[in-house]
Amino acid sequence: MSATVVIADDDADIRELIAIAVQRSGLTLLASVSDGAAALAAIREHRPDLAILDIAMPELTGVEVCRAVRADPESGDVRILLLSASVDETAQSVGREAGADHFIAKPFSPRVLTEWLSVGKEAR
Amino acid sequence: MTAATPGLRAWLARSFDRPTPLVKQFATVGGVLAAFIILAAFDDINITNHATAWTGVALVVVSTILAVLFTVNRKLTRYSLLIPAIGILALGAFRAGTGGSSSIFAALIILPVIWMASGDGRRYILYAGVGTSIALMLPFILGLSVATTSSDWLRGVFTPLVFATAGAIVNELARQGRAQLASIRSLAEEKEKALTQALDYASELEESQQSLRAVHRMFRGVWDAVTEQSVIGTSPIGLIDAWNPGAERLLKMTRVEAEGKKFIYDFHIAEELENRSRELNYPPGETVLVPGFSALVESARLGQAEVRDWTYVRSDGTTVPVRLSVTKRVDENGETLGYLFVATDVTKEREVSRLKDEFVGLISHELRTPLSSILGYLELMRDDTDEPLSPEQLQYLGVAERNAHRLLKLVGDLLFTAQVESGKFPLDLRDVSLCEIIAASIETAGPAAAAGDVELESLGKAEAVVTGDVMRLGQALDNLLSNAIKFTPRGGTITVSVAIVGNAGVISVRDTGMGIPESELDQLFARFFRATTATRNAVPGVGLGLTITKAIVDAHHGTMAVTSVEGEGTEFTLTLPLVGTKL
Repeated sequence: MSATVVIADDDADIRELIAIAVQRSGLTLLASVSDGAAALAAIREHRPDLAILDIAMPELTGVEVCRAVRADPESGDVRILLLSASVDETAQSVGREAGADHFIAKPFSPRVLTEWLSVGKEAR
Repeated sequence: MTAATPGLRAWLARSFDRPTPLVKQFATVGGVLAAFIILAAFDDINITNHATAWTGVALVVVSTILAVLFTVNRKLTRYSLLIPAIGILALGAFRAGTGGSSSIFAALIILPVIWMASGDGRRYILYAGVGTSIALMLPFILGLSVATTSSDWLRGVFTPLVFATAGAIVNELARQGRAQLASIRSLAEEKEKALTQALDYASELEESQQSLRAVHRMFRGVWDAVTEQSVIGTSPIGLIDAWNPGAERLLKMTRVEAEGKKFIYDFHIAEELENRSRELNYPPGETVLVPGFSALVESARLGQAEVRDWTYVRSDGTTVPVRLSVTKRVDENGETLGYLFVATDVTKEREVSRLKDEFVGLISHELRTPLSSILGYLELMRDDTDEPLSPEQLQYLGVAERNAHRLLKLVGDLLFTAQVESGKFPLDLRDVSLCEIIAASIETAGPAAAAGDVELESLGKAEAVVTGDVMRLGQALDNLLSNAIKFTPRGGTITVSVAIVGNAGVISVRDTGMGIPESELDQLFARFFRATTATRNAVPGVGLGLTITKAIVDAHHGTMAVTSVEGEGTEFTLTLPLVGTKL
């Protein structure tokens, strides 16, 4: 069984772009949502292997979702990939402190994301 | 009459305090006139020898004329003793002509004798005596009579001696008089001088008082006009003794409520003062003070004015962020009188800065998100293996990608410039080899250099290690290389070198490009500035690259220099302190 993924980004085109990369890498997409609160709900509901979260989202930011997930023993073991459109490196360190496993800056290359996801799938 | 009296008195005083020769001559003239009255009145008193007597009168007239002359012409005053000398001879002749030794007018001789003897110097006593002697012996000298008795001879000696004695007394009295007069005069002069000085001093005092008042008015005016800044003065222990209208406005407390009643630290947050105290290792201050106050004035106390951000607390508990300048007040001997606290409300500044950061963040995010989609989907199109694009389509795609990247870089540069402006761009510091940075940048610039037919060469491999942010230093060098490539015509060369000079690593980027006009070199690092050589040759760019490069170098405590010759080339030099260099 392939690894499962939840995507959250407030931009539909970006969500679609990520979804394409997820499908191309052979992972299973469980949910694709547009805000932080929905992302947290989806993670708690689906218990995916990986969550790809945009940092700047309505309701809850990616970092806040990350914190909430890590604080929850039920869903605490999900791997989290943060996406940020900010070039500010402090965002990255804040994300790591919140418990994110990986960090990718926007704009990202779908090809690179696909490769990364494929490697992650095998490693798992 | 009353008006005339002071005039007369003044004339008398003037005449007898320093009598003129004419005034002195009055005595002789009066004596002769009296003699004529006597001659006319008494039948038994007569002129015995008319020629001699009238010669005497004529000499009196001559001497009177001289007196008039000497009175009118002050320059001749020093010859004025000629007058009594002639007078003595004249009266001697008059005596000889009115009976000689039997003449009653012999006594008249005393009048010019006294004048003569009053001359300045003892020799005039002798002149007076000799003159008298000659005058009395005149009848014998002129042969009018013959000396027969011993009294005739003795008269020529005895009377002159008596006269000379009288003359001596007069001479002495005159000398004393003169001395007294001189001392009185010098006293008067001194007094007058002192008076003049006192008057000068008084007018100077008045002047300085006026200028002091003007300064005070000016000061009051400025003090009251400063309403946007809170200006507070305190004693050395922080007790408030000055409170301007700006302080009233900012802290919502009147002068009367604050002066002499409140301490400056009553308006600070205790925790902020405590934190600063800890930072400064609890400075002891000038006396035993409140530790927070010592921290507040520590820098000023050591003679350095300090500007820091603090928070003022009003008496109602509300707070206001301020930029506070603290300076020491000293008297003319350098003793500390207290401190001055000038505070500017920075609430609005903070708000503007926050809004700007927010805006820049938002713009950056909003611009990057669509660019992410554009670049992402373009890449999907390029990678589509099911329906590969034609070479022509791939070429169009390349143009779209290149321009999307250009836009992305511009957004990044703008965001970075904004961060530099607000003084906060983070540096990830570690030990960095300049050679590695150069190698990476040359590799990055390779394709562009090849496309522009420009040769890239690297010279000098000094192992310079600095403390820096790899990404940022790389960005700085990338900017310089990309500029050099853009501004160098086909066939040109770009030379990058690294060297160690003193305590610094020096990177040089030299091109054989179109150069920069000398007049524009000093504006080169200004935001959005573009050299005329760039605009004329339609070299693309917005004028942020060098601004960013300079900001990065500055943040690394380095310096940046440029030399350029139009038409020959340009050289940029980055100087960065080596690891371990004390800044």
